[in-house]
Amino acid sequence: MAPPAQSQRSPSPSQPSGVLIMVNSKSEVSDLKLQLRQLAGSRAPGVDDSKRELFKKVISYMTIGIDVSSLFGEMVMCSATSDIVLKKMCYLYVGNYAKVNPDLALLTINFLQRDCRDEDPMIRGLALRSLCSLRVANLVEYLVGPLGSGLKDSNSYVRMVAVMGVLKLYHISASTCIDADFPSILKHLMLHDSDTQVVANCLSALQEIWSAEASTSEEASREREALISKPVIYYLLNRIKEFSEWAQCLVLELVTKYVPSDSSEIFDIMNLLEDRLQHANGAVVLATIRVFLQLTLSMTDVHQQVYERIKAPLLTLVSSGSPEQSYAVLSHLHLLVMRAPYVFSSDYKHFYCQYNEPSYVKRLKLEMLTAVANESNTYEIVTELCEYAANVDIPIARESIRAVGKIALQQYDVNAIVDRLLQFLEMEKDYVTAEALVLVKDLLRKYPQWSHDCIAVVGNISSKNVQEPKAKAALIWMLGEYSQDMQDAPYVLESLVENWDEEHSAEVRLHLLTAVMKCFFKRPPETQSALGAALAAGIADFHQDVHDRALFYYRILRYNVSVAERVVNPPKQAVSVFADTQSSEIKDRIFDEFNSLSVLYQKVTTSFSQPFVLLCVTQIIKESRLTDIHKYLQPSYMFTDKEHRGPLEFADELGNLSIGEAANNVVPTQMVEENDKDLLLTTSEKEETKGSRNNGSAYIVPYDGSSTSVFASQTQIESAVSNPTLAGHSPQASFAIDDLLGLGIPAAPAVPSPPQLKLNTKAALDPSTFQQKWRQLPVALSQEISVSPQGVAALTAPQALLRHMQSHSIHCIASGGQSPNFKFFFFAQKFEESSNYLVECVINTSSAKAQVKIKADDQNTSQDFSTLFESALSKFGTS
Amino acid sequence: MLQCIFLLSDSGEVMLEKQLTGHSVDRSICDWFWDHVISQGDSFKSQPVIASPTHYLFQVVREGITFLACTQVEMPPLMGIEFLCRVSDVLSDYLGGLNEDVIKDNFVIVYELLDEMIDNGFPLTTEANILREMIAPPNIVSKVLSVVTGNSSNVSDTLPGATGSCIPWRAAEPKYANNEVYVDLVEEMDAVINRDGALVKCEVYGEVRVNSHLSGLPDLTLSFANPSILDDVRFHPCVRFRPWESHQVLSFVPPDGEFKLMSYRIKKLKSTPLYVKPQLTSDAGKCRVNVLVGIRNDPGKTIDSITLEFQLPPCILSADLNSNHGTVNILGNKICSWTIGRIPKDKTPSLSGTLLLETELERLHVFPTFRVGFRIMGVALSGLQIDKLDLKTAPSRLYKGFRALTRAGEFEVRS
Repeated sequence: MAPPAQSQRSPSPSQPSGVLIMVNSKSEVSDLKLQLRQLAGSRAPGVDDSKRELFKKVISYMTIGIDVSSLFGEMVMCSATSDIVLKKMCYLYVGNYAKVNPDLALLTINFLQRDCRDEDPMIRGLALRSLCSLRVANLVEYLVGPLGSGLKDSNSYVRMVAVMGVLKLYHISASTCIDADFPSILKHLMLHDSDTQVVANCLSALQEIWSAEASTSEEASREREALISKPVIYYLLNRIKEFSEWAQCLVLELVTKYVPSDSSEIFDIMNLLEDRLQHANGAVVLATIRVFLQLTLSMTDVHQQVYERIKAPLLTLVSSGSPEQSYAVLSHLHLLVMRAPYVFSSDYKHFYCQYNEPSYVKRLKLEMLTAVANESNTYEIVTELCEYAANVDIPIARESIRAVGKIALQQYDVNAIVDRLLQFLEMEKDYVTAEALVLVKDLLRKYPQWSHDCIAVVGNISSKNVQEPKAKAALIWMLGEYSQDMQDAPYVLESLVENWDEEHSAEVRLHLLTAVMKCFFKRPPETQSALGAALAAGIADFHQDVHDRALFYYRILRYNVSVAERVVNPPKQAVSVFADTQSSEIKDRIFDEFNSLSVLYQKVTTSFSQPFVLLCVTQIIKESRLTDIHKYLQPSYMFTDKEHRGPLEFADELGNLSIGEAANNVVPTQMVEENDKDLLLTTSEKEETKGSRNNGSAYIVPYDGSSTSVFASQTQIESAVSNPTLAGHSPQASFAIDDLLGLGIPAAPAVPSPPQLKLNTKAALDPSTFQQKWRQLPVALSQEISVSPQGVAALTAPQALLRHMQSHSIHCIASGGQSPNFKFFFFAQKFEESSNYLVECVINTSSAKAQVKIKADDQNTSQDFSTLFESALSKFGTS
Repeated sequence: MLQCIFLLSDSGEVMLEKQLTGHSVDRSICDWFWDHVISQGDSFKSQPVIASPTHYLFQVVREGITFLACTQVEMPPLMGIEFLCRVSDVLSDYLGGLNEDVIKDNFVIVYELLDEMIDNGFPLTTEANILREMIAPPNIVSKVLSVVTGNSSNVSDTLPGATGSCIPWRAAEPKYANNEVYVDLVEEMDAVINRDGALVKCEVYGEVRVNSHLSGLPDLTLSFANPSILDDVRFHPCVRFRPWESHQVLSFVPPDGEFKLMSYRIKKLKSTPLYVKPQLTSDAGKCRVNVLVGIRNDPGKTIDSITLEFQLPPCILSADLNSNHGTVNILGNKICSWTIGRIPKDKTPSLSGTLLLETELERLHVFPTFRVGFRIMGVALSGLQIDKLDLKTAPSRLYKGFRALTRAGEFEVRS
C-alpha cells in the first residue's frame, strides 16, 4: 500500500515545552497539591470530573518529564473513587513513582488490595496489574495473596493479568515467587485453562522463569525441557488457531526448538501450520517460515520445496505492508536470496527498485538483483540497473554501477556488460566515471582479454576529471599496468607526479609509485625522470606507507634492476575469485538468525555476510605481511643510524627476504599481490592501524660517505634523498643517484643493468627512411635465437609480439607471413640519440627459431642491442 | 520483548512514555534517537530497526508521529514493527486521525489503550473491535451522554466478553434492525515502464474489504468467479482455511464493522489502462520536455483523478512547463505536478516546455521518473470478479452491496 504521508521532522531540541513549563512548574505543582487536598475528602457531586481534570494535569506534567512525585500522598488520598478512568490515571501515576518512593508506595498498597477484591473484574485486573507494577522489593509480601487469588479468579481477564503478575513478582523477588510455588500453578493453568490468552501468558512467563532458574536448579532445567516435549508442543499446536496472533508467534517460536522424532512428524507439523503462511500478520508468517526452515534443515529436497512454498507469501508481504514492515520482510528475503539465489532467479522483477522507496530498501534490492542474476536474466537485470545509473539519488546510482560490475564478475559472458560499463565511462558524470573506472579495473584483473577494448576508452579519460581517490587509484593502476598500450601513459603519470603535493590520498600516492615503476620497466626512457621525481617525492612523503614503499623500490632498484622488475611486473594470473565472494558455509549460519533483530539493523548485513569477515582476515594477513617487510627494512635504517654496517645489513636482510638471484619469486609476487589488493580493499582500516606505527627515530641521518664500498653510495643516496641539496656536495658517490633520481646533474651511464644501452620508447621512423637505411647499411649481426614454446603459442596473433616488443622499446615497421613462417621488421632508436637499429626477424613457429639480422647506425653498440633484442624476444609469451 | 514505548512529536518532543517492564528505559534514549534521525539528513526514512548503544529501537512514523519502542533482547522484528503499526492504527481509529494535538488532548485514552494492548512487553489484544468494548472512544456521543445522564465514566460497564470467546475477533452478539454487508474490491496497480517504453513490471495488489453489520453470529461464504488468477493470498484470522484449499471459497464469521477480509496479489499483467510518453531532448543548456498521456486500454469505465508528478533534477535552474489540458504546478521542493483529471474526448493531454540547466551543463544526465496516479471506479483491473455472497441463516431483511475500485499504486514511467 502507499506509504503514509510523512511530514518533515524539524531539528529542534527535544523537550521544548518541558523547558518552558519548568519555569513555572514549582508553583504549579504546589498549586495542584492544594487543589488535590481540597478534593480528597469531598463527596460533592461532580467532584470526579474536577478530579479528572487535576489528575490529567498531573499526568501530563509527568509525561513531559516534570517531577510531580511530591504529590504522591495527595494522589493516593484522592484515589478512593469508583470512577474507573480516575483509577487508571492513579494507577499510572503510582506505577511511575512507586519505585523512587518506596515508603510512600506503602500508602497505595491498601487501596490497591481493596480494589483487587472489587466485584468488577476489570477493576480487579487493573488493580492487580498496578500492584505488581509497583516493583518495590520490600512490598512483595503484599503481592503473594492477591496474586494467588487472581490466578484462581473466575474471570479470564484477571487470570491473564495475574499470570503476568507472577512474572513481574519473579523479577522483583525470585525467591518469593518460587516459594509460593507459583510456577507449578502456572504450569497447571497452561495445560488446562480454557482461555488461550491465559495459556499464552503462562507459556511466556514459564519460559522466562525456568530459563532463569535453569542455571541453579536442576528441576527448573528439566521443566524447561518439558516445555518443548511432544505432549506440550502438540497440545499448543492443536489449539494454535484459537490463540491471538501474538500468542501464535510465541507458540511458533517454541516449536522451532522442538526436535521431531521422525519425518512423518515433521510433515504433520508442516501440514498443520501451512495455513499460517497466509495469516494477515507478518510476524506470524515469518515465525512459521522459520519453523519450516528449521524443521527441514536436514532434508535437502524438502528444504528446497520449502523455499518454493514460502516464496509467494514473502513476496506478497513485501508488497502489501507498510514501508517498515516491507523492509523487515525484505531483509529476511535478502537473507534467503543470498542463500539460495537460484530459487528466486525468476522473481527478479520483484527486486526492481521503485522511485519512492527509501535508499536502504533500494540497497537491499540491488544486492538481491546482483545475487539472482544468472545466464537467463542477466540481460534484463543489467538493463534495469543501467537505468538507475541516471538516478537522481547519487549513492544509489553509484551502487547500481557497482552492481553491474559485480554481475560482470560473476558471469562468463561479459560481452554486453563491458559495453555498458564503457558507456558509463562516456556519460560525463564524474561519479559515474569514478565508479566505472574502479569496475573496469576489477574487470581487467579477471578478464585480461578485454584490455584492448577497455584501454581504448580509458585512455580518453583525462586524469584531471577524476577526483575520487579510489577511481584515481584505479586509473593510475591501469596506466601502470597497460602503459605499453596507452600512448601517453608516461606523460600522464609524469604530470601526476609533478602534482604530488596536491594529492591528498595516500592510497593514490601509493598507486602512483607502483604505476610509475611499472611504466618505467615498460618504457624506461620516457618514464625515467618521472620515476626519479616520484621516488624522491615518495621518500620525502610524510605518510609512513608511501615513504616505506618508495624506499623499498628505491633500494631494490639499487640492488638489482631485474629483480626489481620481477617484483613490480611479475607475470600475472587473472584473478578468478575475488576475496569478497561468499562461501556457503557462513551463509548457512543465517538460520540461527532468521526472524531475529540482527537481520534488520544495519550493522548486521555486514557481520552476516561473508565479505566483511573475509576482508578482516585478508586484512590481518596483509597487515602481518607488511609488518614483516617493515621488520626487514627497519634494521637497515636503524643501523645507518648507529653504525656503519647499515647497508650491509640491508643486503643481508634482502637475502633473507630471498630477493636474491636464486629463489626470488616468493616474496616479490606477494608484494605485487599487495599492490593489487590495495586496489580492491579499502585502505581505510589499514591506515588506522598504521597510523600508530611510527618509528619515531630519525632513521635517515646524513652520512659522511667517505667509504669506498658500493654500499656507501646506498647510504649516500638516502642522505641525498632526504636532503636533496646535499646531493650536489657529494660528487664522489653521486653518479648513481643522479641518473636514477634525475636530480638534474647530467651524468653518466644508467642503471647497472640492462647496462650500456637505453632505447627511446618513442622512437619514430618512417617506412621510406627505413627502406633506405636497410639498403645502405651492412648486416652488423646475424644470429639464430630460439623462441620459447609459450612465445610460439602466443604468435598465433602476431600483434601480440608487436606489442610485446614495443614494451621493450623495439618498434615494428612491417610484418607479414603465414604460419609457420612470420617475418617482422623492427627498428629501435638509442635514447637521446638518433642512432637507429634495424632488425629483420623471421620466426618459424614449427622449429621455434628466429632468424635475426641486425643493422645499426652505430656498429659498436650492435652487440648490446642484439643482447637486448634477444632478451626481449625470449621473454615473449612468458610475461 | 519490548521494554518501553515512546510517542514523539514531529519536533522530537516526548509526548508519551509507557514503561512496560521493570527495567525502565531512560528518556535520554529519545535524545539519542532524535540526534540520529537528524544526522541522517532529510532521508529521515531511516531504518525501522536501529541499534543504539544501549537498546534496539523500533520506529514507525505515521502522520509525523514517531512510535518508538525499545528492547534489549533479541526478538522477532516484525513483532515489534507490526505491533507499533497496530498501535498507530488503533489510535487513529480511536482518535479519528493522528496528530500531535489529538494525542496530547487524549493522552489518558492512549495510556489506557496501551495498557490493554501490551503487558510486560508482550502484545495482547490489538483488535480495535475488542478494545472498543473495554475503553470507550472519546466521541461526541459519549460526551453528550455523560452530560445528559450524569454518568461520567466513559467506559462501558460490560466486560470484554470476547476475551473468553473462541471467536476472538467478534464481540458478543450485536443486534441490528437493518442487516447490511458491503464488500469492496480495492486494487492498486503497480507498474514500471522503462526508458524504451516497455512494460517492465505490472502487478496488482488488491484487498477485499468488508463492512458488516449483521446480527447474531453470521456465517458468510464469499466466492469468486475466477479465483485461479490469484497469485498469493493473505487472510484475516476469521477465514477458514479448508474451504479455501478445497473449493477456493471464503467461509468466515466476520468481525463486526469494517475489516480487511483478504489481500491478494496478481502478477504479470499485460497492459496498463494509460500510456505516458515522455520525451526529453537536451541541447545547449536547455532541455525540451514533452509528455503525452492517453488511454491505452479502455477499462470500460471512466478513468479519473489522473495526475502526473515528477521531481525536477537538482541541476535545473528554472522550468517553463505548460499543458493543453489540466493544470501544471511546480511545488517548492522542485516537484512538478500535473493534474489532468479525466482525458477529454477531443484531444490528447500533453505537457511541454523547457528546462533551463545549470550554466556549465550542456545536456541533462539525470532523467526524471514520472509517477502516475489515476482512479477507476467500478472496475477491478486485475479482472477478479465476485461471484456471490451467501449467509447461512439469512435474516429477514438483508442488504448486500458490492463495489470495485482500482487506483494507481506505484505506477512509474522512466524517461
